[in-house]
Amino acid sequence: MKNLFKIAMLSTVALLSVGGVQAKEDVVWWDFLSGGDGVRMKALIEQFNTEHADTIEIQPTTLEWGTPFYTKVQTSAAIGEGPDVMTYHLSRVPLGVQSGALAEISTTDLAGVGLGPDTFAPANWEAGQSDGKQYAVPFDIHSIILYYNKDKLAEAGLLGADGLPTGLDGADNFTAALEKLKGGSEYALSLQTSGDGTPWRVFYSLFGQQDGVFLGDDGTFFPDESIPKAVKAVETMAGWVSGGYAPALTEYEGSVALFTSGAAAFHINGVWEVPTMTDLAAKGELGFEWGAIAIPTFFDHPATWADSHGFAIPNNVGKEMTPEKKAAVLEVISWMNKNSLAWASAGHIPAYTPTRESEAFKTMQPNATYSILADTAVFDPKSTLAGVASPVYDAVANYISPAMNGELEPQAAIEEMKADLQDQAD
Amino acid sequence: MIRDQRREWVAAYLLILPFVLIYGVLFLWPTVQMVYLSFTDAPLIGPGKWIGIENYVEMFDDRRFWTSVRNTGYFVALTVIPNTLIGLAIAMMVSRLKGWQQSVILAMFFLPYILPVSVVYRIWNWMFDLQFGIMQHPIALILGKPTPVFRTQWLFMPSVAFVTIWWTCGFNILLFLSGLRSISTDIYEAAALDNASRWTIFRRITWPLIWPVTALVLTIQLILQLKIFDQVYLFVQGGRPDPSMVMVQYIYSQAFQKNEGGYAAAISVALFVIVIVVSLLQFQFLRARGEK
Repeated sequence: MKNLFKIAMLSTVALLSVGGVQAKEDVVWWDFLSGGDGVRMKALIEQFNTEHADTIEIQPTTLEWGTPFYTKVQTSAAIGEGPDVMTYHLSRVPLGVQSGALAEISTTDLAGVGLGPDTFAPANWEAGQSDGKQYAVPFDIHSIILYYNKDKLAEAGLLGADGLPTGLDGADNFTAALEKLKGGSEYALSLQTSGDGTPWRVFYSLFGQQDGVFLGDDGTFFPDESIPKAVKAVETMAGWVSGGYAPALTEYEGSVALFTSGAAAFHINGVWEVPTMTDLAAKGELGFEWGAIAIPTFFDHPATWADSHGFAIPNNVGKEMTPEKKAAVLEVISWMNKNSLAWASAGHIPAYTPTRESEAFKTMQPNATYSILADTAVFDPKSTLAGVASPVYDAVANYISPAMNGELEPQAAIEEMKADLQDQAD
Repeated sequence: MIRDQRREWVAAYLLILPFVLIYGVLFLWPTVQMVYLSFTDAPLIGPGKWIGIENYVEMFDDRRFWTSVRNTGYFVALTVIPNTLIGLAIAMMVSRLKGWQQSVILAMFFLPYILPVSVVYRIWNWMFDLQFGIMQHPIALILGKPTPVFRTQWLFMPSVAFVTIWWTCGFNILLFLSGLRSISTDIYEAAALDNASRWTIFRRITWPLIWPVTALVLTIQLILQLKIFDQVYLFVQGGRPDPSMVMVQYIYSQAFQKNEGGYAAAISVALFVIVIVVSLLQFQFLRARGEK
């Protein structure tokens, strides 16, 4: 009996002391990073949790990219069941704010953890704002790049003295290069040619290289003088498919596989596939030497579509965030940015200026080869119809992809896309 | 014995109360709310401002709405009657088997029905895969070259209808089989004695006697297929969503993607009305046939 009492006392003391450690703050985290960059993000989160073993623990969940993620965020925030922090595309901030899914982040709070307009590129920082209020903090800048198979390019005589591809600028020169590569592989160029995603990114880059205006200040989609430019961009893309250089009706995964299996000499895709190539090459499974450069200049001047991953806090209705939780979330956002060099190994360009300007990043390959695109980036139009998983993305699947595959005439595709978006905007 | 009328009433009400409550709370109330919502500009979640019939005016002018109505109708036409007839045909064949053979064959036909739609999508996406799909062999024979059916506009709906019939036929077979079993063998024996041909037996005995089951299957199918969403949503991924948009999909896209709860409710009301009108018409038509 005495023993039993002792045990009871001891366990009470043990319980109490556990209660003392309970000051540790849990941060529920949602992201949509499931590819090669997802692996790197998990490593970052683990490192964070180790460094903050006594204070903060991130509890991460990865959801499906695109519409599923954003639908879930919106519905869960509306009933107060959203995460504490989440990754968010800056292109979607207007739509997120309009639908009430995002909570404002006070700039004083951010300044408290060393984040502010002076630690990011101005355009990047402002992309996280709506009506002058901050709703998201940038984390990276990501874009599309041109991956190439060094062996195949060497065979076709397309490598310059510096070992980088040469003679690709100008729409005609690029086609001539594709023609040279045609014999050496199944496809000269692989890229996603159905649905949204890559077709939008390539279209917006080619359109931007001609200074095309997607959404005019008066709310007109494709103002008159921009229509021929858009048509030209679509015609160029359709020419790759009709010329037999690129595969028709190919989905995202298939387009990556065509390149990694050596069936295609070029591949246009986001920087986030860099880890896929790096990992395959490290395991010796790639079977060729690869490289990546910025998208060539097809028209007047360099320009490449770009978007940013950022961090945002959902507007959890009916669930007030405690000051302790808020401090923990701010620490997460700040720590991630300050350690974003590791994220750069996922192919991205860090948004945090001190990291981006560090020597370590400037010598990181292949990022350094294409980091020029941070200066020539054209971000998605700022509209509640634009951004990832938005009506604009849907319109790309409905009009631009079919035009790439010859199911629609480029002129008709752009006119119908304009009418469709205008219809939804009014 | 004198029965207490009032006590009986009380008991009756008490007994149906739980059902009425659950039905009211889980079905009637949300339906009323949906109709109310359709007259507001509400977002996906939360209340909105009363805007009268504006959503309905917009709907009649919305070409995507009409596309979705047309596509839903097309899908119903492609599935309801074929699915019923194929179910009946297979049930008649299965009913000729006896004992364990019948059980095994029936189980084989029923198996697809228990699969979740995501699995059905996976299976058939592979079967129709342009590079590796086994279905590309017959497709190449018919169309002359391998064809990505879910990326070819005119083949999309027929292909989804085909997969849907494969998936849901098992349940119809089961219903028909129980119907066939309830037809007395005496009638068949009498017909055989009269030297009736197989076709005559089917025409004069099986078809009229199985009619109530056929009517039931047709009604269930009609209501089910009008609400088509999952298969179209899954198979269109990575393709062109608009030309093959069906009504429930349009409701989903308005509510969840565009945050237009009020407008989505208006389309839901339209679908609700269509389902009621079409099933009433069909019921009347089937009853008229049955009484003949």
